[in-house]
Amino acid sequence: MSEPPKEPVKYVEANLRLPYHYVAGDYRARYLLALKDKKILGSKCSTTGKVFVPPLVASPESFAPCEELVQVADRGVVTTFCIVRIPVIGRNVELPYVAASVALDGADISIFALVQECKPEDVRMGMRVEAVWKPDGERQGDHEDILYFRPTGEPDAPLASFLNRL
Amino acid sequence: MSRLRNIAVVAFSQAPIVARDEHRVASEILYPEVRSALDQCDVERAAIDYQVAGSTDYIDGRPFGFVTALDVMGSWPAKQDLHLEMDAAFAAYYAWVRMQAGDCDTALVCGYGKNSEGEPERVLNLELDPYYQAPLGLGPSATAALQASAYMARTGATDRDLAEIAARNRAAGAKNACAQLREAVPAATLAATAWVVEPLRRGYLPPYGDSAVCLVLAAEGKAERMCDRPAWIHGVDQRIEMQTLGARDLSRSAGAQLAAEKALAMAGLASAREADVVELCATTPAEELILREAMGVQAGDRSVVNPSGGPLCGHPLMMTGLIRLGEVFRQLSGRAGTHAVPNVRRVIAHAAQGHCLQQNLFFVLGSERRWT
Repeated sequence: MSEPPKEPVKYVEANLRLPYHYVAGDYRARYLLALKDKKILGSKCSTTGKVFVPPLVASPESFAPCEELVQVADRGVVTTFCIVRIPVIGRNVELPYVAASVALDGADISIFALVQECKPEDVRMGMRVEAVWKPDGERQGDHEDILYFRPTGEPDAPLASFLNRL
Repeated sequence: MSRLRNIAVVAFSQAPIVARDEHRVASEILYPEVRSALDQCDVERAAIDYQVAGSTDYIDGRPFGFVTALDVMGSWPAKQDLHLEMDAAFAAYYAWVRMQAGDCDTALVCGYGKNSEGEPERVLNLELDPYYQAPLGLGPSATAALQASAYMARTGATDRDLAEIAARNRAAGAKNACAQLREAVPAATLAATAWVVEPLRRGYLPPYGDSAVCLVLAAEGKAERMCDRPAWIHGVDQRIEMQTLGARDLSRSAGAQLAAEKALAMAGLASAREADVVELCATTPAEELILREAMGVQAGDRSVVNPSGGPLCGHPLMMTGLIRLGEVFRQLSGRAGTHAVPNVRRVIAHAAQGHCLQQNLFFVLGSERRWT
């Protein structure tokens, strides 16, 4: 017994299976359903009037409830961005690609999005972009309904206009 | 015992436990409870110096899941924060320890997580060691049954004894608006329910449920302004036992006995029987018997055990322990409503974590300050 086994056990297989059944929640359900109709909803802070996208039930900043849902535009401005040159697990995107923060018109915080239909080196802070939606009949009411954002060709937004939405 | 800071529970808010909340995600259940707890103290979030929460990412189903709660805990401007992968009662203990340093006077303690979205029996299997115990597929019901069996063999306790205890808890839970099971059920009916893991029947096991809880602690000087009847912490102790189940005497809880002794000593009490109310985190009738024995509180003693109905009437994992502390606060501060026990001056709250009462935590509280 004092001798180690000739062929030592090196691994113990431990397969885990943990199923989950998430509830979207009434609040998120309204946001997701609206995506089906190419509408983006945000929630408005009852104290400061700030609009959060995707909607939050309460403002992390003011701590006030944000029960009112308002529609924001499906276009906005690139605030900060990066050019990704490494593959990402679970996404099949051609490299390099641009991941950007996009502040939608009418929203006070930015969302994360892919910017395509332009060269990565042409993307810049202040660039105006718009959502490219899945075709009618293919939208499911989830985040995949927006394929990516693309430049609109409008003049760039001045830095001061989005500095507080970085 | 040297002089410690007098710290009190000054508010507690709990979402009534439900089997499954179809309408809200965990943070959305928590938000109104945090607001309510602060409202009870008539303060805003700026009045809170420290925040700590208990939950488990395995219940949330995502790594670092706990950070989603920060948005609804009033964490801005950036707060001192701690998160425990444990029942939130242990978070309350760490807040109390943190507050002893003297530079934090108030703390918010939250527990949350939707049991209904995952499978707690599978999740808690992962608490066991991955080489010998977990692969057997043991879940908390099975390990609790091992413990129940060991206790019954040593003491001669019978199936009927377990049924009587479950029935008493169910009768108490019927009066508690926050309980999940709110129907009194006779012992004979419970004793006729199906075996889940023998010797435990369906009627002797708790229902998992969804809830969210928020408790506020405050130190002397502020507690009096935040609550008309603060529940002062007189003693507290926490002990952990070995991971290997076979290395422990499962028929009793050495950790609970030691933690209770130490907490009582800190509180200056000779016996747990001096408590008017005891809330135990007993998830089976056998655990209640083991804990009673460990504390020295027997049937027929004056202490009222689990007037809330206890975990057998609602078991939201990671909150069940903190709810015990919240419940004794309610009893001590005249906020227990329909399940109030009259003339409560001294109370004990217990919390547990892990299989077969691996970790035990006791709070002793009173209506007067402990140290002068």
